[in-house]
Amino acid sequence: MTSTRDLVRDERDQFAFHDDITYLRETKRGLTRETVEEISGFKGEPDWMLQFRLRAYDHFLKRKMPVWTDGLADIDFDKIVYYRKPSEREEKSWDDVPEQIKSTFEKLGIPEAERKFLAGVGAQYDSEVVYHSVREELSKIGVVFMGTDQALKEYPDIFRRHFGTVVPPEDNKFAALNSAVWSGGSFVYVPKGVEVPLPLQAYFRINGENTGQFERTLIVVEEGAKVHYIEGCTAPIYATDSLHAAVVEVVALPHSKVRYTTIQNWSNDVYNLVTKRAHAHAWSTVEWVDANTGSRKTVKFPAIYLRGEGARAEVISVAVAGRGQHQDTGAKAIHLAPNTTSRIVSKSVSKDGGRATYRGQLKVAPGATGVTASVRCDALMLDDESRSDTYPYIDIQEDDTTMTHEATVGKISADQIFYLMSRGLTENEAQNLVIQGFLEVFTKELPMEYAIEFNRLVKLEMEGSLG
Amino acid sequence: MTGVAEPSTSEPSRPRRARLLPSDLSYRPDAALIERRAAAEPDWLAADRRAALAAIGELPIEPNQLYTGYVDLRAARLADTVAWERVDTSGRDASTELEPGLSAIAAFEDDRITTLAIDEAARGAGVIVESLGALIERDPALARTLLTDGASLAADDRLAQLSRAAWNQGALVWVPPGVVLEQPIVLRWAVGAPGRALHVRSIVVLGEGADATLVEEIVPSGATVPGGQGLFTSTTEIQLGGHARLAMASLQESGPDQVVFQQRRAFIAEGADLRWALAQLGGRLVRSRVDNVLAGDRGTVEQVEIVFGAADQLHDLTSYTRHVGRDTTGQLLSKGVLMDRARSYMKGLITIEKSAIGTDSFLGEFGMNLAKTARAVAIPSLEIDQPDCRRAAHSSSVGPIDENQLFYLESRGIPADDARKFIVLGFLEPVVARVPLEDARERLRDALEAKWAIGTASPATAA
Repeated sequence: MTSTRDLVRDERDQFAFHDDITYLRETKRGLTRETVEEISGFKGEPDWMLQFRLRAYDHFLKRKMPVWTDGLADIDFDKIVYYRKPSEREEKSWDDVPEQIKSTFEKLGIPEAERKFLAGVGAQYDSEVVYHSVREELSKIGVVFMGTDQALKEYPDIFRRHFGTVVPPEDNKFAALNSAVWSGGSFVYVPKGVEVPLPLQAYFRINGENTGQFERTLIVVEEGAKVHYIEGCTAPIYATDSLHAAVVEVVALPHSKVRYTTIQNWSNDVYNLVTKRAHAHAWSTVEWVDANTGSRKTVKFPAIYLRGEGARAEVISVAVAGRGQHQDTGAKAIHLAPNTTSRIVSKSVSKDGGRATYRGQLKVAPGATGVTASVRCDALMLDDESRSDTYPYIDIQEDDTTMTHEATVGKISADQIFYLMSRGLTENEAQNLVIQGFLEVFTKELPMEYAIEFNRLVKLEMEGSLG
Repeated sequence: MTGVAEPSTSEPSRPRRARLLPSDLSYRPDAALIERRAAAEPDWLAADRRAALAAIGELPIEPNQLYTGYVDLRAARLADTVAWERVDTSGRDASTELEPGLSAIAAFEDDRITTLAIDEAARGAGVIVESLGALIERDPALARTLLTDGASLAADDRLAQLSRAAWNQGALVWVPPGVVLEQPIVLRWAVGAPGRALHVRSIVVLGEGADATLVEEIVPSGATVPGGQGLFTSTTEIQLGGHARLAMASLQESGPDQVVFQQRRAFIAEGADLRWALAQLGGRLVRSRVDNVLAGDRGTVEQVEIVFGAADQLHDLTSYTRHVGRDTTGQLLSKGVLMDRARSYMKGLITIEKSAIGTDSFLGEFGMNLAKTARAVAIPSLEIDQPDCRRAAHSSSVGPIDENQLFYLESRGIPADDARKFIVLGFLEPVVARVPLEDARERLRDALEAKWAIGTASPATAA
């Protein structure tokens, strides 16, 4: 089996690094009302935002920790630094980005990616967007792609009209936390009728022990407009736990189309507790394409509220859970309007004692007639130590809904492995191939570069577990 | 009027009830009554009741965090409901006449035992069908083992512990090893006296290699009155010895205002086979829980359950199937048809433990909403610790009547109304066909048809 070692070379070191950054501003560890006021003060925010943060903070204190998933009690909110600002202002050109930060991104391959095909880059280094560029032609057609903090200053009207409308602070404990201390994240605005020709992409990174990442992303797509947003995450490996509690809000106005792609590869000490939700208005389409490979625990259920007639929702969710990991992921489709459709496809792989949980909700509210919905969940377990759970919630309150749900759990078929090995593959190669095939429903939705990177990530994850 | 508002004298102030949360149970077991009962019972039983009563206060109605969002007990208006003070558990006045085609029958009506009969051949083979009161007198040691084994009722479930504390009637069905009964045994519960609670436990033990069929019927008693609500809680505690086979059908057709809480738990030993056919038609609020424990290797369970809900009925059904032994099989199917404002919550969890290599388990939950105001909830879940299984899958669907089927039948000259009826009744037929007793099967068919006729005549169901 030595040959397979070469095939799935351990490339993790390449992504696991930590630069010594001098932080220019940061809050004290722990969260108090003063922390919240301090963050808002640092940023020179309008009073309504401070009030929003304080309202969220009050709710965060009141709200009990969720009990339907386990392990969250280990989070020590007092140990976390809630705000860090590594550089003073947003950089417009790559050359102006501080050298240390730049080298970090170079290791991740951002500049090449940008040169090749990217429409814009918003790279998050700890709690602030430090590097940002939007292609000239995009600016010309009115597309806004910038840090969320900057957008609050530059586009206060659009911002205030939509911010917090999709995910109110009272939604859940971690949405409340994010709303109180949010910093960074991306803001995307696509004007009426504009189709963004290339994917917009942002790399997110956590750097620094116990740094909380509370980015807040707001995407507003006007009537008939179209955009594809991609986020990818890598993080340095650290011994103590980091917390990542993001909120992503997407507003898809009538006849628009939004696709949001995530490849998440947090290091295995990160708690990734994310609220992602979209409002799909009439005849719009919202697609979440979501992969979770890293983190210690991910709790994430990308949701689509189908609010207007004829809206369409699609979620493709992939999770790989390895040693010490729990991927508690899934999707929600809430049908609130007639003739809406949703399709959820979930694939999970668990191995080395990892646990993959699919949790989903499909709801058809009274009045949402003519709904068609489907949910498909498949899970692969690679060994006896691992665990796989499926918890779909289906609540139908209309008589002409057509809903189907299927779920299966199993192991890799010995027949498939035998067949591939008889064609000259090693066992490890055969397993990798089967797993890649199992996840293909996801990979085929990715731009090519991402598909390659994702397959490499999966191979990395498989490293050490096979053979 | 200034200052502090006072109750207005011009309008008669109506006594306002405290607002109930969906998870609040308005029924409280009467501790003094339980004490009075315990005083006349063996010490071990009194102690068991007290332990359960002490546990009740701490326990949630819904022990599973997955399902806490789907509890609604508001239709149970049981604050003034009390358990029967005196219940005949001896059966001394009961008829001993056996209906043809049965091996045995135990029939109960509210606080009385109306029939206790067993055919001679079965009696000769050692089969016992008796009240729990009679069991305690006849064989206290066995009674103690069966009633206090600690595992036959869910320790974390308030309704299970309510039965354990407050049970005031019960039956034992005992089939010795190797005995094969060709004819079914019937347990009939006629309940419905308004303001009264009947708490029963049924214990079913099949020895190694035994083979039996059991039909449970829950029907309105003579005391049932329209608008009068009573409470019926029941347990069915089943132990199947190695290679035993049990087919158990249950027809729940209690009155339209009755509250019914059911707990069923089966331990299935090596090679044993349990087949449930459960029909839920009656009741205003029904909350049912089934636990199948496939403890031995190669055990199998087949569970087919139907709900036919109309008016404001809520059928809240949970089933747990735990695979522990090797090469066990679970085949679980729930189907619901909902008219008017009926709701059905179908929750099922398959757990495949690490030891359960070679499991084959399937859970299906299928709903048919026939009215805009009906609501179907399906939560089929899987928890899997052992990937080496033959199958681990679930599937669910909710939809209207299939237009293609309708078109097909109409194209064969069947009027639309009849075609709809055939499709709905055909959807529920898998349970009907599994009811082992011809009479009961026919009665269930009639009941389904009657319910369909009433439902389609009401304006809330769009034709």
